[in-house]
Amino acid sequence: MIASIAWRNVWRNKGRSLVVIGAMIVGIWSLAFGSGFMQSFLTGYIQSSIKHETSSGQVHHPGFQKDYDINFFIRDPKKLIDAIKSNSAVTSVTSRSIVNGMISSTRQATGVKIIGVEPATEASVTELNSLIHEGEYFEGISRNPVLIGDKLAEKLKVGVKAKVVLTFQDKEGNITAARFRVAGILKATSVSISESTVYVLKDDLNRLLQLDDNVHEIAYVTSTDADDDAIAHDLQSRFPEDKIESWRELSPILVFMEQWMASILKLLILIIMSALAFGIVNTMLMAVLERVRELGMLMALGMRRTKVFTMIMVETIYLSTVGGPVGLLVGYLTITYLGQAGIDLTDYSEGLEAIGYESILYPILQPGDYIQIVVGVILTAFLASLYPAWKAIKLKPIDALHTI
Amino acid sequence: MSTIIKATNVSKVYHRTTVPVHALNNLTLSIEEGEFTAIVGPSGCGKTTLLNILGGLDHPTSGKVEVAGTDITEMKDSDLIDFRLKNIGFVFQAYNLIPVLTALENVEFIMLLQKENKKVRHQRAMELLTQMDIADKAKNKPSQLSGGQQQRVAVARALASKPRFILADEPTANLDSSSTSNLLDLMARMNKDQKATFIFSTHDQRVMDKARRIVTLEDGTIVSDTTR
Ligand SMILES: Nc1ncnc2c1ncn2[C@@H]1O[C@H](COP(=O)(O)OP(=O)(O)O)[C@@H](O)[C@H]1O
Ligand SMILES: [Mg+2]
Repeated sequence: MIASIAWRNVWRNKGRSLVVIGAMIVGIWSLAFGSGFMQSFLTGYIQSSIKHETSSGQVHHPGFQKDYDINFFIRDPKKLIDAIKSNSAVTSVTSRSIVNGMISSTRQATGVKIIGVEPATEASVTELNSLIHEGEYFEGISRNPVLIGDKLAEKLKVGVKAKVVLTFQDKEGNITAARFRVAGILKATSVSISESTVYVLKDDLNRLLQLDDNVHEIAYVTSTDADDDAIAHDLQSRFPEDKIESWRELSPILVFMEQWMASILKLLILIIMSALAFGIVNTMLMAVLERVRELGMLMALGMRRTKVFTMIMVETIYLSTVGGPVGLLVGYLTITYLGQAGIDLTDYSEGLEAIGYESILYPILQPGDYIQIVVGVILTAFLASLYPAWKAIKLKPIDALHTI
Repeated sequence: MSTIIKATNVSKVYHRTTVPVHALNNLTLSIEEGEFTAIVGPSGCGKTTLLNILGGLDHPTSGKVEVAGTDITEMKDSDLIDFRLKNIGFVFQAYNLIPVLTALENVEFIMLLQKENKKVRHQRAMELLTQMDIADKAKNKPSQLSGGQQQRVAVARALASKPRFILADEPTANLDSSSTSNLLDLMARMNKDQKATFIFSTHDQRVMDKARRIVTLEDGTIVSDTTR
């Protein structure tokens, strides 16, 4: 009966209760939506970084990344590639040779990173071919094709089929220059791709570097749900001579972002929950103060303080949890709908793409996130109910009865 | 007949303001089972203070109160709550009923606190509402009842807990004269038929006339005590 009295008490002041319940729905919805949105943002960012930059994992000579010394190449790339391929989670593998050098046109010269790629496997690992804006992906040029970024093309004032010269030191330290012809121009949000990297065929570069079949970098991608850290770790233990890193190690900024997003999410939850708790406490305090005489009467009759306390707690919990499921349902429906339809951010995409973004977001929430929200709400409701309930039992029956 | 309330040398001093208020002065009073007693006197003479102390809602400054042989003077507030539930029925001047419950549920509620089972609760509540002439309003909420009807439900509730006695502080103060005499007649009938002990306060002459024993207070002291 206490539960039934509490339930009816919630509806004594319908307007006030509805405001709290409404706030609850909006709060929970915005939590669900906010975290779904942020997680898709994060996942999108990580996935686009993995796709275009780090891949799921990479292999180098342990000394290579420090100053790109071309003599630090991977000893037995074939064996490593076979080992990587034998992992069922790996979907594709490619290898590259890399040297720092200079590109010059008849008008301009600038320093670049020159990457020798295998066109077919590179396309399946990084989708480099999808960035072609003008010209062709290593085609249409018979000898020494090169792909350059759009910003770089602008700077050098060259177009497709134009001649450029790449200059670098070979394996022996001799300055080598070779003539290349622009096969295609890449357009990418990444500054590094559009301004300071050029792609040539690995065979061409290796010949010029006198590197034979050696490579500096092996990159591989895995299926989306693979444990990239474990895969890298496993490879590392089998090839101690080389350095094998997952995207998390290759790009600590992504890890930082993951943690940062998680903290922001916690903060968001904290803010929304505090606002809700404040509203609930306020409403329930009002409800208690309005009923001072009635509560005094109940205690005078012989209702124990623990019962009064429970009744007020139950009232508060009812009040706070009626909105919960509704908010959660609305949130779930919103996320599910938008998760399929996507949120089109094309209007704002210039800014987003500048930081490496996709312009359509697909919000996602894991079951765990919903549970976190539900637990948060229940905890908030519980904590928020303590103070008004405590206030209620602090009343002395006679004082309460005499309050006008 | 046995004594159910024995108040000995009870004094109550309020220190709310800078000047202490002596609400009860060395008052001694005993109430026998089955009495129908009115505590009367002008406003401010100490009626409410006395009833609160007899009902274990307040502690005397000095003196001793025994209810059914138990000294409640030094009892802890939390024990007093249980003691009241078991032994004392209350009817207040106003705000007696739980607004969200029907008349019937209000009467059942007190028995629920006493952990009475559902069937007994319902049966006894209906019986009492019938005896108090208000059974037809059993399903109504307090807000749908007149002041007199609400007080009849309150008396039914007070009786429902089978208390040793019922304290009613100015139960008719907010009622018109016909509701007042109606309520008093019903209370008198319950006193006669059910042997329920009533102690009520009033400053209304017509109410006093219905009592069998009249204890008159003046400035916190009993100035007369007559039984008819
Ligand atoms: N809580 C209180 N604090 C201070 N003085 C009080 C309090 N309650 C009653 N009094 C004083 O005690 C005296 C007796 O009051 P009360 O018992 O309410 O009288 P009655 O019920 O007969 O009108 C009055 O002078 C009143 O002002
Ligand atoms: Mg009074």
